[in-house]
Amino acid sequence: MQRIQTEVLVIGGGATGTGVLRDLAMRGFNALLVEKGDLSTGTTGRYHGLLHSGGRYVVKDPQAARECLQENGILRRIMPHCLEDTGGYFVLTPWDEPGYAEKFVQGCRQARIPMEEVPVHKMLAAEPLLNPQITRCFHVPDAAADSFLASQCNAASAREYGAQYLTYHKVTQLLVHDRRVLGARLLDQVKGEEIEVLADMTVNASGAWVGQVCAMAGLSVTIIPGKGTMLALNQRILHTVVNRCKLPSDGDILVPIHTVTVIGTTDVRVDDPDRFAIEPWEVQLMLAEGEKLVPGFSSLRILRAWAGVRPLFQEYQQGETRDVSRAFVLLDHQSRDGLAGLVSITSGKWTTYRKMAEITVDLVCRQLGVSRSCRTHLEPLPDTRRRVSSGHPQEKRKPARMASLGERLAEIEAHQAYGNLVCECELATIEDVTRAVLEGGAQSIDDIRRQVRLGMGPCQGGFCTYRAAGLLHELHQSPVSVINSALLDFLLERWKGLLPVLWGAQLRQERLDELIYLNLLNADHLPGISPSQFTPEMYESAVAVAPQEYKITGQVPRIVEAEGKQPVGTGSSDLLVIGAGLSGLCAAWQAASRARRVKLLSHGQSSLYFHAGCVDVLGYYPAGSERSLPSPAEGLRRLVYENPGHPYALAGEAAIIESLNSFQALCEQAGYPLIGSLDRNWLLPTALGSLRPTCLAPLTMTTGDAGNKDPLWVVGFAGFRDFYPTWIAANLQAQGFQAAGLTIELPHLRDRKFINSRTLANLFDAGLIQDEINAAIRKLLASSPPLSPSRLAFPAVLGLQHPLRVKSELERLLGLPVFEIPTLPPSIPGMRLAFILEKALRALGGTIHTGLEVTSADVGTDGRLARVWTSSAARSLPHNSGDFVLATGGILGGGFSSNSGAEIHEQVFGLPLDYPAVHQQWFRPQFLSPNGHPVFRVGVQVDRHFQPVDPSDQVLYPNLYAAGAALGGFDPILERSSDGVALVSGCVVGNGI
Amino acid sequence: MTIPVGKTSPPGPVNPLPRPLPVEFTLDQCIKCNICLSSCPVSAVTDLFPGPKYAGPQAGRFRTSSQASPDLSVDYCSGCRVCNMVCPHGVKIAEINARARARMVEDGKIPLLLRFRNNLVARSASLGRFAQPLHPLSNFIFSFTPARILADRLLHIAAQAPFPRFAGQRFSSWFHRQPRRPGENGQVVYFHGCATEFYEPWIGKAVVRVLEASGLEVIVPDQGCCGLPLLSNGEFKAARRYHLSNVRHLVDYARQGIPILGTSTSCILTLKEEAPELLDMHDQDTRLVASMTFDFSEFMLQLHEQGRLNTDFSPLPHSIPYHEPCQYRAHRLGNPGRVLMSLIPGLQLLMSPAACCGIAGTYGFKSEKYSIAMQVGEPLFNFVRSSKSPLILCESETCRWQITHATALPAFHPVELLAYAYGLKVGSPIQQILTNTKK
Repeated sequence: MQRIQTEVLVIGGGATGTGVLRDLAMRGFNALLVEKGDLSTGTTGRYHGLLHSGGRYVVKDPQAARECLQENGILRRIMPHCLEDTGGYFVLTPWDEPGYAEKFVQGCRQARIPMEEVPVHKMLAAEPLLNPQITRCFHVPDAAADSFLASQCNAASAREYGAQYLTYHKVTQLLVHDRRVLGARLLDQVKGEEIEVLADMTVNASGAWVGQVCAMAGLSVTIIPGKGTMLALNQRILHTVVNRCKLPSDGDILVPIHTVTVIGTTDVRVDDPDRFAIEPWEVQLMLAEGEKLVPGFSSLRILRAWAGVRPLFQEYQQGETRDVSRAFVLLDHQSRDGLAGLVSITSGKWTTYRKMAEITVDLVCRQLGVSRSCRTHLEPLPDTRRRVSSGHPQEKRKPARMASLGERLAEIEAHQAYGNLVCECELATIEDVTRAVLEGGAQSIDDIRRQVRLGMGPCQGGFCTYRAAGLLHELHQSPVSVINSALLDFLLERWKGLLPVLWGAQLRQERLDELIYLNLLNADHLPGISPSQFTPEMYESAVAVAPQEYKITGQVPRIVEAEGKQPVGTGSSDLLVIGAGLSGLCAAWQAASRARRVKLLSHGQSSLYFHAGCVDVLGYYPAGSERSLPSPAEGLRRLVYENPGHPYALAGEAAIIESLNSFQALCEQAGYPLIGSLDRNWLLPTALGSLRPTCLAPLTMTTGDAGNKDPLWVVGFAGFRDFYPTWIAANLQAQGFQAAGLTIELPHLRDRKFINSRTLANLFDAGLIQDEINAAIRKLLASSPPLSPSRLAFPAVLGLQHPLRVKSELERLLGLPVFEIPTLPPSIPGMRLAFILEKALRALGGTIHTGLEVTSADVGTDGRLARVWTSSAARSLPHNSGDFVLATGGILGGGFSSNSGAEIHEQVFGLPLDYPAVHQQWFRPQFLSPNGHPVFRVGVQVDRHFQPVDPSDQVLYPNLYAAGAALGGFDPILERSSDGVALVSGCVVGNGI
Repeated sequence: MTIPVGKTSPPGPVNPLPRPLPVEFTLDQCIKCNICLSSCPVSAVTDLFPGPKYAGPQAGRFRTSSQASPDLSVDYCSGCRVCNMVCPHGVKIAEINARARARMVEDGKIPLLLRFRNNLVARSASLGRFAQPLHPLSNFIFSFTPARILADRLLHIAAQAPFPRFAGQRFSSWFHRQPRRPGENGQVVYFHGCATEFYEPWIGKAVVRVLEASGLEVIVPDQGCCGLPLLSNGEFKAARRYHLSNVRHLVDYARQGIPILGTSTSCILTLKEEAPELLDMHDQDTRLVASMTFDFSEFMLQLHEQGRLNTDFSPLPHSIPYHEPCQYRAHRLGNPGRVLMSLIPGLQLLMSPAACCGIAGTYGFKSEKYSIAMQVGEPLFNFVRSSKSPLILCESETCRWQITHATALPAFHPVELLAYAYGLKVGSPIQQILTNTKK
């Protein structure tokens, strides 16, 4: 067992612990810090980010207020780069006691907090979203603090002074002998090894875990975890901290921090600092409180919820050794418990961490009989922020100024580094991630997140988790199962915080993320996953809910007069299709081919743009199965029998076959054949290296089928961030394939600042890179590689206009068969299918209008739909038609909206939808759950003719039909049936009207 | 009992956001699907613009009114609005970008010389008022290659960019010399825009005659530049003055229920939507003027629905390529131009599949953006060339100049075709070309 000898052992890597470490190191002590997780995974990493001016305490606890103010000033000097000078407001709302304002003013004066009253109209000019009913406003020097960065800078400074810290090292035992703590035994959670540390003094700075650590020495210290839940909004809606002018209570503060706005918090006693729930009432409470400060708050996009625990120290014996202020707790165990060699420090505010550290180290000095003074308030902290380097090795760090929101963007812009982004939402580059892994000690993707903000933006890891894991594989050379686990762990970690606030735009985002990880990448069927010590524990499920009850919402659209002139609109149609996804396009195409006059209206471009470009008919049945279906036909037979309401059952086998045949004929005619039949699913490699089942695949992909055991090379292009050949190859190898991954540099791409799928596809179409690829590969082939390939795989970018020509050219040049693997959106193969359908529709006389959002519908007194309205510049535009098809795509397509009131609405006709009544029952605890999430089965109920019906099975409108993901009762992404259902229902509708 | 409309006011117990929110808030709708990136014509041809998703909703989270602009690359957004049309979630990307550019201007991030240049090319009315009276000379100078090369070097105005020629007489001068012709079918106000006024008065003549042919009386009140070139260049203060002035001139007609029509799709979009949204102008007068502003074809089709349109068109058995400008699609009217022209018997339109001609207002006139603009327009130019037609139709003036510049083919506004089909003489060269062409 490894033994480490040091002077002071610090337990706990939060603000206090790292602050203590720095102070110790600066005073010349040999010190070691150990933390069971990553730095700042405790309370420090889970608060709202406020640097107090003291305003919150002036009435209740003036001394605490004064301390905050003093430390506020010191921190602004020593760590300006961790702070943003937002300033703060205290506002008196109609819900606050009017008399408090005067007490507040008095209190500020007494505590000498720089406070200035701001006229309300000026406040509204600066912050237009604040409630105009606010009557008074006071400005104080609050600021926003990045506590992750601060801990990292403290730790870095400590290192500079010769101290050390170990993350993922958990204290399992305190070594006690003769009424003295001699050190601790640790468990290295990554390697699974034990380490012994011997120290003259041990500082227990473990915050909410102080009690647990003390118990290891037989001491009784009661720390009650006080949980506080917070929510982050997707964007900055304010640039000033806003506090309610009242005694501090729940949900009374809004903090703009980095790119989000945080609202906090609650105070609920829990039993265990590691296990607690985020309860729906807490979320609703904060939404309600938020409404008081910002009207309309609850309809803004909420990114995430999280909770941390405050350590509340419970006194139980007299004569505690405490320091002056009640604001934090310093326990000298020698005098309190007769146990030497241990001090504990806990509670307090983040704002006063440095003072807490100072007082703690002062005590350590006294105990060790030395006299050394604190200098942590005098020397600025190093700046360890992510930086875009311009390539000059000696680049000096500019003297630190206070941080600003835009500086990261400004830096990316100045260096034109936008092509290097791994996390696009939060502008984290490859360089940032690499540094975090190689220098910052990041073990998991969550660790990377804490250092570079990866995954903290709107897509919550949708795109960057894949890229980060791919990078991790390149950097770490770990077994692929470890990387697979890292991917899944981070997705789960993000899911953990999303669950309590998943509705509206964020729910739509999650469904896209599900499409990516399930449908495109098949991440739930990875070949191997290592048990991981980084797998997050989910929040406890809150209050047990009764068995699922469903509710139905739906409204009747406005009935319109029958008499009088009816607006004709921009040309009538026989059939009006709403939605340009696969189902809408198919319905329109089939109807047009039967000489109907078809008009297709779509809010935006087709969802085919982010599907894989194949036709998945049925990949897994039952939905959560381990093994994919060898043939769709087999699964269909069972499905139709067991699930008679499923669109496939309604359509019938004959219609399914006919639809697939028609579509294959169309693609064949367009020179882009889709190969396959219901008798057999292809198993095609994904951009993760797992195998995804699909029924019809283009010729450009079929050589990749799992039935083909020929050795292969997976080839990526340097600078293209959405494809990781070595990881793909490693996962394929784990499934028994002979595969190798490599990245080639193309001269054509060398000077480009920004490469994406479309860039590459255009280059292929123009014939500009085939020769370069050939040259690079032939060179590698000639160099006696360990694996000689019989086929080559590329990312699915082999041309938008001429994919088959590109494929043949490559095969001719390289002398080897070639295939493509779909990767992150935008999907080039998906776009090809969209072009084919659009062209066919237009050739048959149909019209397509992209950018026209259907907002409402009119019904005539005869009960038939008369027209829909689209939003136009300065007005609404009517579109009359005989028949209508709703193909708006459900939650992902935007056809259904959802809100914080746990309601889901069909946006155009207000059709009835049924779904679990309680928000918590919308989801299962795991992101990639084998049974999927109940909410995604929501949809429109239809009869055999695909006409929407009411709960008593009556057809709602004689001239309305529905197709695609708008249909309910099944989960198309989970079953891998999304394309098939869209195709079949669309064709049946288009043929049947 | 109305249907829930839009995404900012969902139904149920949730409070909707109380006022028209600044367009930046639509960034909440972005789910990073990359559809905008895959459709952006500018990022397809240059690395200087990283795409709509990056520049709009993504960068938007790093912008705040209390700090200086962090932007640079957003200046390469051409403002074509294709991104808005293809976004399935309702993010107003083009507007977010336009406002970010205005912040760049405000914060001095556009070099002074370029800002001066932007103002020169953006103040079309001022330029026109000054240079049109000098028209043989001004035309000479603007097409004199050495002068253009000098302008390119000194002022960064692209030497090859297609400057139109000043007309001999301003449209409004011609109009005010005409006898007033009251119509039994009602009155309309014609907002002509700078191009018709200074460069292509025959388009205005065509509009007047065509409207009169349906019994309408045309009023041409005092009016100024709509300000779109200023908006596109981030000169919001000046644009606001222009828009306020136009609202003042037009609001009385709007109050009387007299529709305001225009043939320049960009001008009309500005009055309908762009100025109010970009400048946060939501007062009653601005809204009233917007609600009474119509695109020419939009209005003609409404007349037709009401049975008041003169449909006495001669057959035009021609097959003519037609490009719907990207600014026109931004009106979100479907294809009103095409539908209107389908009333002309025998006429077949070959619809342009291309997204954008590239010029994007003043964008393609700038030296640093000229070649980007020409590359953006290449698919359109190829389409036009391969159609083997002697002319092309397009509603936007700058598009017409760009298309002609790139393909040497004359381009006309559909109203000129309508005038021809009615047999009206308006002095448009389209007459000559069509009479010379066999089908």
